[in-house]
Amino acid sequence: MTTVRMQDVGAPVTYFDPRFKVQAAKILPGEFYVTGRDMALVTVLGSCVSACIRDPESGIGGMNHFMLPGSSERSPASASARYGAYAMEVLINQLLKMGAKRSRLEAKIFGGCNALLGGGTQSIGESNARFVQEFLSTEGIAIAAQDLLDAYARKVYYFPRTGRVLLKKLRTLRNDTIQQRELEYSERLTNSRIDGEVEIFR
Amino acid sequence: MTMKTILTVEDSNSMRQMIGYILRSAGYNVVEAEDGSKGLAQAQSGKFDLVVTDQNMPNMDGLSLIKALRQMPDYKSTPVIMLTTEASDTMKQRGREAGATGWMVKPFDPNRLLEICQKLLG
Repeated sequence: MTTVRMQDVGAPVTYFDPRFKVQAAKILPGEFYVTGRDMALVTVLGSCVSACIRDPESGIGGMNHFMLPGSSERSPASASARYGAYAMEVLINQLLKMGAKRSRLEAKIFGGCNALLGGGTQSIGESNARFVQEFLSTEGIAIAAQDLLDAYARKVYYFPRTGRVLLKKLRTLRNDTIQQRELEYSERLTNSRIDGEVEIFR
Repeated sequence: MTMKTILTVEDSNSMRQMIGYILRSAGYNVVEAEDGSKGLAQAQSGKFDLVVTDQNMPNMDGLSLIKALRQMPDYKSTPVIMLTTEASDTMKQRGREAGATGWMVKPFDPNRLLEICQKLLG
């Protein structure tokens, strides 16, 4: 059985975006990226959510892309709550390590579309969206903008240096790449061991 | 048997509440601190049976907290568990050298945390 860790997913692919004339990083499900450079962070979201968080004073910002593992557990310490808090913490920790100040952080949150992955009484997209809102509220991180739920996938360009966002709702999908990617990620979360290693020194 | 008291040091409110919930549900008395320096102040003003601390925190990180605790006669041999997103061998080695008793990588299994607490608290 493998362990799913955000760090293991590898460094996101970076490329030069000719339209915006900046270096861009493409963030896939389970990945996150933080930078102090003037660049674009790009992602396509179905049921997954992205938190784009930055410190406006230092211009350091980053983006994650995740979903909660499907779990019927309703506890403050459920697998969903633990994985979600972890996905947010790795992003915030990296921001702080690079010099962002926690008290200055502001977030823009996107995704959680209801249509792509099926759901029970509460859709997967809705659970993901609600989790990010509640997490940020508990952490005291202001939500500067949000575009959540709805029936369409989204393409998001985030410019951490300025906080600017370009969002496009994908009303028609040319293929099923987004669903496939999210489905694979969802299966990885369901079938793999989410919890990290434990070592006792003495 | 007297109720064991655990100090939880964690800067993320969500994570701190979650750890507190897990430990309290198992019957432990829990005191929470939101960074290493506040954790150290708590440790100086009371006696805890076990400490669970995060690594990356403002003001004082987990490794510095452990080093400071190990200088205090009351905490020379108190079990201290590092509960962190840091998973590298280098960091674990630094934890061992600082005097950590154990290292748990997030996301963590609540049952494993309780098993370890129970074992270390004898």
